[in-house]
Amino acid sequence: MSKVQQLSVSKTSVSKVAILVLAIVFAAGLFVVGFDQGHIFSVVYGEQAFVDLTIHELTHDMRHAAGFPCH
Amino acid sequence: MKSALFILIVIVSGTLAGAIHGTVNFAIVEPYLDQAIGIENENLFASGEADDNPQFWADYEEYRVWQKSGQVIAGMILGVAMGSLFGIVYALSRNSLPGKNDVTKAVVLAGIMWITIYLIPFLKYPANPPTVGDAETVVLRSILYVSFIAISGFGALAFYKLSKKLQSDKKYLGLVGYAVFIIAAFIVMPENPDEVTAPMNLVNEFRLMSVLGVTSFWISVGIILGLFWNKFDDANSSKNDS
Repeated sequence: MSKVQQLSVSKTSVSKVAILVLAIVFAAGLFVVGFDQGHIFSVVYGEQAFVDLTIHELTHDMRHAAGFPCH
Repeated sequence: MKSALFILIVIVSGTLAGAIHGTVNFAIVEPYLDQAIGIENENLFASGEADDNPQFWADYEEYRVWQKSGQVIAGMILGVAMGSLFGIVYALSRNSLPGKNDVTKAVVLAGIMWITIYLIPFLKYPANPPTVGDAETVVLRSILYVSFIAISGFGALAFYKLSKKLQSDKKYLGLVGYAVFIIAAFIVMPENPDEVTAPMNLVNEFRLMSVLGVTSFWISVGIILGLFWNKFDDANSSKNDS
């Protein structure tokens, strides 16, 4: 019986690497939609990205609609 | 299940559910966003911060088209993000979830996550349309909102773990404990510092549509991931083959 249970658990488990990959996707996606104020594009465009707010404006309507704080 | 397949079905189900969320928002939330931004524009004209002239409206149309076009795209990005969290929790909790198949199990988990990391934080810090939020407080409001989501989510997890250690006739104490804990968090956590200056009927209708939109995501992601899991899980395949 315990052998069967053990087999069942191992078949439905997934690797830690997969969990880590998805955790990174979760954090990155949440930041893009919920919190970016020019930070991501500032890597390429510098201070101007904080003025243009390209990603902020793109995600603006979803940001409000999904309940994230916005100005 | 192989890692690559697991990641793939989680990301595809999150993307699809996010696209549904964005489309629902496009249909039912956008009219309220337009109304709220209309009030915001009137306030800008009244305060002298902007002039009501053709140039203003040309710029306005340009950025509103950009913002509206992002509704579905942002829905898909948010869907991948929240779908990833959902996939992780589902993979780790699948054997403990009630239900005869993965669709039922995934929908049950989606319901639990909808309540704990969306609805309860929403009741404390409800969504607001444009014209309500103050740019000066956006960082504080973000910290409060994320903190409350974390408090509710990890609180639910902790009390679930605790209830597993209790005897079967006392497992309800885990739920009672979570309820007491979250009520205490409601009282202790600071209020949203921004005053709601927009008409309350607009704000309330916007909030209702917002809830319906997010709910469409959680229902969709539960059903879609459950269907994918039923189809691709090795354990199910071997069960079907036998």
